[in-house]
Amino acid sequence: MLTYEDRLKALRETKIRHTLEKRSQNGYTDLDDFGTVPLPPGYRVTPLYTSENRSFYGLAGMSENFARVMDAHPPYVDPLEMLAGRWRDMLVNYRGDLHYFPAWRKKQVTEEDLAGVTVEWSKRWDEKRFPYDDLKPIQKLYNIQSGIDSDAHLACDYTIGLALGFGGFLEKIAHYRALNPGREAFYDAEEVCVRAIIRFIDRHIEEIQRLLEIETRPEIRENLEEMLKTNLAVRTGKPETFREACQWVAYFNCAARVYTRDGAGFQLDTVLLPYYERDREKGILDDETARFLIADLLLIDPHYYQISGVDENDRDLTNRLSWLILEAAAAIDISANLTVRVHENCDPAFLREAVACLFRYKNGWPRFCSDKNLLEGYMKNGVPKEIARKRIAVGCHWMCVPGVEFPMNDTVKINVARVMEVAIGDLEKEKEPSTEKLFTLLGEHLRKAVEATAAGINLHIDHVAEVTPELVMNLMMRNTLEKGLDISQCAGLYTVGVDGAGLAVVADSFGALETRVEKEGVLTWDRVFRALRENFEGEGGARTRAILASAPKYCGGNTASDRWAKRITDLWVETVRRQEMPAGRRLIPGWFSWARTIEYGAAVGATPNGRKAGEPISHGANPNPGFRRDGAPTAQSNGIASVQCGWGNTAPLQLEFDPGVGLEEGGVELVERLIKTHFDRGGTLININVLDKEKLFAAHQNPDLYPDLVVRVTGFTAYFASLSPRFRQLVVDRFLEGV
Amino acid sequence: MGSVKARIADIQRASIHDGPGIRTTVFFKGCPLRCAWCHNPECISFEKETLYYPEKCIGCGKCSEGCFSGARVVCGRDMTAEEILETVLLDRDYYAEEGGVTFSGGEPLAQREALGELIRLAKREGIGTAIETSLILFDEEILGEADLVMADLKIWDEERHRAYTGVSNREILSHFKLLDRLGTPVIARTPVIPGVNDDRENVEKTRDFLRSLRNVIRYELLPYHPLGEDKRRALGLPPAGFPVPDRGKMEELRRYADLRG
Repeated sequence: MLTYEDRLKALRETKIRHTLEKRSQNGYTDLDDFGTVPLPPGYRVTPLYTSENRSFYGLAGMSENFARVMDAHPPYVDPLEMLAGRWRDMLVNYRGDLHYFPAWRKKQVTEEDLAGVTVEWSKRWDEKRFPYDDLKPIQKLYNIQSGIDSDAHLACDYTIGLALGFGGFLEKIAHYRALNPGREAFYDAEEVCVRAIIRFIDRHIEEIQRLLEIETRPEIRENLEEMLKTNLAVRTGKPETFREACQWVAYFNCAARVYTRDGAGFQLDTVLLPYYERDREKGILDDETARFLIADLLLIDPHYYQISGVDENDRDLTNRLSWLILEAAAAIDISANLTVRVHENCDPAFLREAVACLFRYKNGWPRFCSDKNLLEGYMKNGVPKEIARKRIAVGCHWMCVPGVEFPMNDTVKINVARVMEVAIGDLEKEKEPSTEKLFTLLGEHLRKAVEATAAGINLHIDHVAEVTPELVMNLMMRNTLEKGLDISQCAGLYTVGVDGAGLAVVADSFGALETRVEKEGVLTWDRVFRALRENFEGEGGARTRAILASAPKYCGGNTASDRWAKRITDLWVETVRRQEMPAGRRLIPGWFSWARTIEYGAAVGATPNGRKAGEPISHGANPNPGFRRDGAPTAQSNGIASVQCGWGNTAPLQLEFDPGVGLEEGGVELVERLIKTHFDRGGTLININVLDKEKLFAAHQNPDLYPDLVVRVTGFTAYFASLSPRFRQLVVDRFLEGV
Repeated sequence: MGSVKARIADIQRASIHDGPGIRTTVFFKGCPLRCAWCHNPECISFEKETLYYPEKCIGCGKCSEGCFSGARVVCGRDMTAEEILETVLLDRDYYAEEGGVTFSGGEPLAQREALGELIRLAKREGIGTAIETSLILFDEEILGEADLVMADLKIWDEERHRAYTGVSNREILSHFKLLDRLGTPVIARTPVIPGVNDDRENVEKTRDFLRSLRNVIRYELLPYHPLGEDKRRALGLPPAGFPVPDRGKMEELRRYADLRG
């Protein structure tokens, strides 16, 4: 008889097989695993283009194509699982987005499909109706990722959906359709989407019935019977049991992913707690089954789920389910994006166990956020505590108030290294160049960059409902179905994240110029300018580069670059905050590059920190590799704590290291101390990898030997074997030894 | 105040192998011993030295104007106690009760004036202090004031000790006894060097001696590691050439090293 443990082991093996198969279908992807399964042979979607540029927009275009992609999805039922459903493909693959294009899709598209598409530019935005040609030169100049046409990075309020079920959505749509005449097109589109999801479930029901006809193992038959019952219940009904709630969430997540690859998780241990407690009370659920169900949910989608933390009265939210979630993640031990909220009122034993998981499994989960610092920062925007406390970690580095906020977080970035390069171009024309003048010029260019970015954000918010309405996520947002409006039109909070990228490159450049040119006089300005123009390849260029690159760096500890990093952060925060926005919208500064350091680096010429043209820029708020000879994580922690932007968004501490001591040798206490101290000093989020140095280096040589090795790339975790060689190198370069 | 200077080889933050908790380790330059396996060979001489890493040379031909490529690295910096403490204080929030600063080397007791000043300054700041020493030297005041002493008993046999370290171990043993009277907790250690001191007898005799002392809280066996070889090469020294002890051997020896017996 197969035990739960046997079944989980088999599921892990299937996952490894899928990871390798996906790599052969998709090519290398420097992305989240997303929980997708490979496409079946012969899979094909025929999109309905509603626009002459071979794309589709708006209510009808999006809902019809969503239904087509959903309908093309075969069911996924593994009799060893308790939950059914997986997603495999998404709408954006049919709108010419080269950034995400998997290899299999590249083979399908025609030249006609891709006419006018570039890496920077997809056909997700309806440019004919909403052009912004005036912004494009500035976006290009400063290497701005504008957020125009981006995925909706927002968080659903899962309590809305769990209380209604898919049938409840249909009833709600019918109810408000009657109350909002003139909004028929909106309600039609929402209805098309919900019905496509129900059809998706129906195909799973048929598949379970088919499997039941051939399954002979009694314990698996029993499981399939239970699965069938659950699926029939959640098809249109609202989930009543813990198992139904998990299954319902799994289906909703599949649908949201197919739609825009988006959506975000939720506070897993509190939202599902009533179901768990009710079932336990009724005696229909044991912890072993609950653990298996959560493991299955994590397997279906490595969504950003948050656990632990405190409520609006600072009372500990950690409960029995929080522990079970950690145990479930351990039981399945795959790519997972669990965030543990850290607060002094939380059960200290829980934090210790969460840190122990980093050591025990070395798969990059969980990560940690500071409840206090994020709350206090966000409240500065005038948001009351009870709402600010609901803002949870549901993305790589980002936070969101579920159901209420439209943050566009992680979609808008300014490459500050590129802005500095433009400023250096102006500095060259000055008679007496100085770092102070460069700082002033940087400020002027940042202002222009932020202004253009704000214009892009406003264009997006003003029109995205007509381009990419969030038809799936609208189902679980507040005021949407009630008013017949897309969430972009009726959000309660528009606190839009704008991240700067390349902090360490910029700070180290200022630090090197101050130290080597102004203080020591080892270099002249002319020599620096020439070396930059020549990419350090002309006469004496290599020595100039060595002189600049060897100057003390950001995170070195009280270095010139450390001081510049703080000044540049202040300048960045002030520039972003001073930007006027209409209609109660606010811009929230942060430091983050996501996984785009290679791409951003390609847009920047040689920089005065000794970085050559085209080399990757620094990662998020992290220092440049080699920032100290001892690579001290404490030094990195201090540096990053000092550059927090302070308005509720993060500048994450990204750590990958071999602590040099094991779980039993006090390693857990050391990392716990690092986490607590980083947060005490103002840090907001820690994306952490506790790695085995030898394994990482061996996997770098031959990733296929370690297909189950997971690393936290930025906020997300990914299978090391799926990353491109160049990206693997970046992860290895960031690696530190010792605590 | 402020005038006492120490000659420092390096300051390493977030160190975890130089005492309990998270620590900052200050490596003093200069040591009276000449241990054949020394893993910090740049800390042996009291003079400033240049380590040469030819693979980092960019061939600019301007060595005399200063090297910035990392090919020629000068080891040895004269720093005031206050300057050193400034770096130590950067990580004070991480030390908690168990961590702190470790004075290592080289032989920190060879620069006793600066070491004494540093211990006083660190204690004034409430930072835990530890000293890593060969105990070839002794200073009652300093060793009495430190919160922890990590001292080596490298080889039990006197002749072998002299052959491999350049000095007799008699004085070291008597310093162990003197140290024991001060009440400072001591972690005794033996670096395990295959072919030199990796025999049962060496460990057991050392252990028996340590059992006679009151304040030795632990006896640790540290496996030899070849991390000093790159630095030896950079200093123009021949390789130390010792093999690394295997895990099984270490486990076996650790069984003999149990002080509680």
